[in-house]
Amino acid sequence: MRLVILFATLTYLALAIETSVPYWIQTRILIPNLIVILAVDLGLRNHGVVPAILAFAMGYATDAFSGSTLGVNAFLITIVFLLTYEISSRLLVTNAAVGATFVFLGVIVTSIGALVLADGAAGLAATGPMLPGIAVQAAISAIVAPIVFALVALLKRIAGLPVALARE
Amino acid sequence: MPAARGKITGTFLWRNRVVLTAGALLLISLHLLTGGLSRADYAAAPAFAMLEVMRPVQAAAAHLGDGASSIVHNYLDLVGVREENTRLRGQIAELKGEDARITELQTENQHLAGLLELRDALGLGAVAASVIGSDATGLSHTLVLGQGSSSGLRPGMAVLSNRGVVGRIIDTSQNAARVLLIDDHNSALDGFDERSRARGIVAGVVDDGIIMKYVDRSEDLKPGDAIVTSGLDGIFPRGLLVGTVASVHREGPGLFLLVQVRPAVDFHALEQVLIVTQQAPPAPPDIRG
Repeated sequence: MRLVILFATLTYLALAIETSVPYWIQTRILIPNLIVILAVDLGLRNHGVVPAILAFAMGYATDAFSGSTLGVNAFLITIVFLLTYEISSRLLVTNAAVGATFVFLGVIVTSIGALVLADGAAGLAATGPMLPGIAVQAAISAIVAPIVFALVALLKRIAGLPVALARE
Repeated sequence: MPAARGKITGTFLWRNRVVLTAGALLLISLHLLTGGLSRADYAAAPAFAMLEVMRPVQAAAAHLGDGASSIVHNYLDLVGVREENTRLRGQIAELKGEDARITELQTENQHLAGLLELRDALGLGAVAASVIGSDATGLSHTLVLGQGSSSGLRPGMAVLSNRGVVGRIIDTSQNAARVLLIDDHNSALDGFDERSRARGIVAGVVDDGIIMKYVDRSEDLKPGDAIVTSGLDGIFPRGLLVGTVASVHREGPGLFLLVQVRPAVDFHALEQVLIVTQQAPPAPPDIRG
């Protein structure tokens, strides 16, 4: 329950930042994708059914504030969680650098995926000119990711939740 | 008891519970995606609730954003001034703050006056609303408004500014609404060239911008022509400015022209908008297409 409350609060804050910060920074690609960072944190350090449902809920919440098709972000954030979970459960180390790499790839997958799911083949064709911008946002998200991971770990400690998986 | 627990944890379902749960959730997402449930259905209710829950934060941030630029400018102006000028500096800062506030109020006043003029010109029922948020991912082009169903807003209503067409409402909660901008890749409206009367579909494209589709190759469109709404889509009243023709491509095969349109509205600078709450009367068919 504490994990649900923690991630619900973090998702609320992340969406508040992502929908409000463009008032100050109009270059959208400079704003990190905080939801992907949180989904990667869930996939890396919280293996279970509840984290999977949380990832889906985070994507669904993003859908409430992005695009016109319900389910796009719910699908993509669940994919990011599942891939992170699957790959990280086969890795010996899941430190911040690994997390940042997952975040970088996650932002690229969700960005291209959102365009393709919402616009089909035309969306895929349009990813070419948009790729540099997507890569910049992915890089910024990857740079910010270790800070967010540390913040989540700190909040988990405060809430009395396990910070890392038992095998670590 | 531990033996029973061992039995459960050893099963295929238990070992793969995360993958199976995620798989089930992916199927639910696909069901939502493929139109199994539209935004009007019960599955969309939590999304509307979130829109409402987020509204106070977004409204506060929007308010803060309006003041933040003047604070930053004031600070930059004061850097480097000597210590003995502290008192004067304070006064200047105060006056500048006051000036920025008055300028802000004047700008807001101008916007609202423009919207009032537009409402009077339309002769239709309309409600003004403030923009309080933008798209969460930036991949789609949407805005969040600080008014919702309690002000009479409903999905499908046209959103305008005093410069032209902004978009249409796609979601509403009690006190907030989301607008799909006309430059979003899922947006389309019926428009025509004011000079040549050639009709087409004005649609957003993924990598930013607006195009006019399905315009016959024989039509005489020229850069600088005004593109206005036809009123035939049943959403936007007739004769509202959408943008101007930026370029017309006649090269290559195909039945239609490729027309790039420069939007009349600067979507990044929107602060107040007007929502048409009353259905426009049907447009007379004096346009080709």
